[in-house]
Amino acid sequence: MLAMARRSPDQTPGPNIVRDEIEAPPSHLGPGTGIQGALEVDGELVVSGRVKGRIAALRLVIAATGSVEGDIIATDVVIHGQFNGRIFAPTVAIEAGAEVDGRIFHTNVSVARGARVSGRMPWRPLSYFETLDKLPEARP
Amino acid sequence: MTLFNRDKPQSAPQQKAQNPAQTPREVPPQTQQAKSESAARVEVLPPLPVKPAIQPSTPSQTQTMNTRTGATMASVISKALKITGELESTEDIQIDGQIEGDVRGVGVKIGQNAKVKGTVYGDDVELAGTVEGKIEAKKVLISGTARMTGDIWHQDIKVESGAYINGSLKPELGKSDAKQAPKPATATTSSNVSSLTGTTGAPHH
Repeated sequence: MLAMARRSPDQTPGPNIVRDEIEAPPSHLGPGTGIQGALEVDGELVVSGRVKGRIAALRLVIAATGSVEGDIIATDVVIHGQFNGRIFAPTVAIEAGAEVDGRIFHTNVSVARGARVSGRMPWRPLSYFETLDKLPEARP
Repeated sequence: MTLFNRDKPQSAPQQKAQNPAQTPREVPPQTQQAKSESAARVEVLPPLPVKPAIQPSTPSQTQTMNTRTGATMASVISKALKITGELESTEDIQIDGQIEGDVRGVGVKIGQNAKVKGTVYGDDVELAGTVEGKIEAKKVLISGTARMTGDIWHQDIKVESGAYINGSLKPELGKSDAKQAPKPATATTSSNVSSLTGTTGAPHH
């Protein structure tokens, strides 16, 4: 984190370090869009449509109209919509109106009042997420 | 982000059908949609006349994303995104990333650095990047930077110079459909012919 802040001293370091790493414009899946398969994003992805499958992203936002079924591996996940499956992310925010079912592996989780959550939310240290792609439980 | 300028007139018969729906721009969207739906019932092409009611008239202003409400623009597959699987949409899609699998959309724009391995289905496909597979679309535009390996099934095609196409162009898309028979190209040529005969018939002019 410190190294990252030193690398870009001219930029005002935002509250979210992940944001600085994103250079491409965010990908967006509209409400009328559905994807079945694996998605790999080196940046931000906003899902307003439906995704069935595996998502790997730096930052993932499931919008209110969005629904995701499957595994998510990211550094930052924000859920306004529906999710069913597993999340592996250090930071997870479940917002009001969200419907979440499954397992959320996290270091930092927030659940807003009005969210519907069922399932488990096991805590993991930050180091757990660094080696995530080698972990058998995170494999597809 | 004016990605899809779909308000442009596409052909004479469609324009005729769109006119009653398009002229009263100020009416609330519900009645506008109802009107365009009645227009869709009159016109044989169902998806196109409904389009103006869905698409905002000023895209650059209204298409700012609002992740909370989910009221958003069409889909954008940025260059950082790689999809393995099938993508289906009832809206427009802008692709700048990589897709391995089929793409189904209404208006599909494939950007210069984009790569698609699979079939691209759509009403209106614009290709500036690479496609390995097939394109099936009513209207196809191949830009000069495009690289197309595979067949293109179309009704209406434009190919710019510099484009690489390895495959055949098949204009038979949906030809069994009697709906698609009247095309604007035939209308313009027939009018040209009539004007020519008119000048030869009247030499005093």
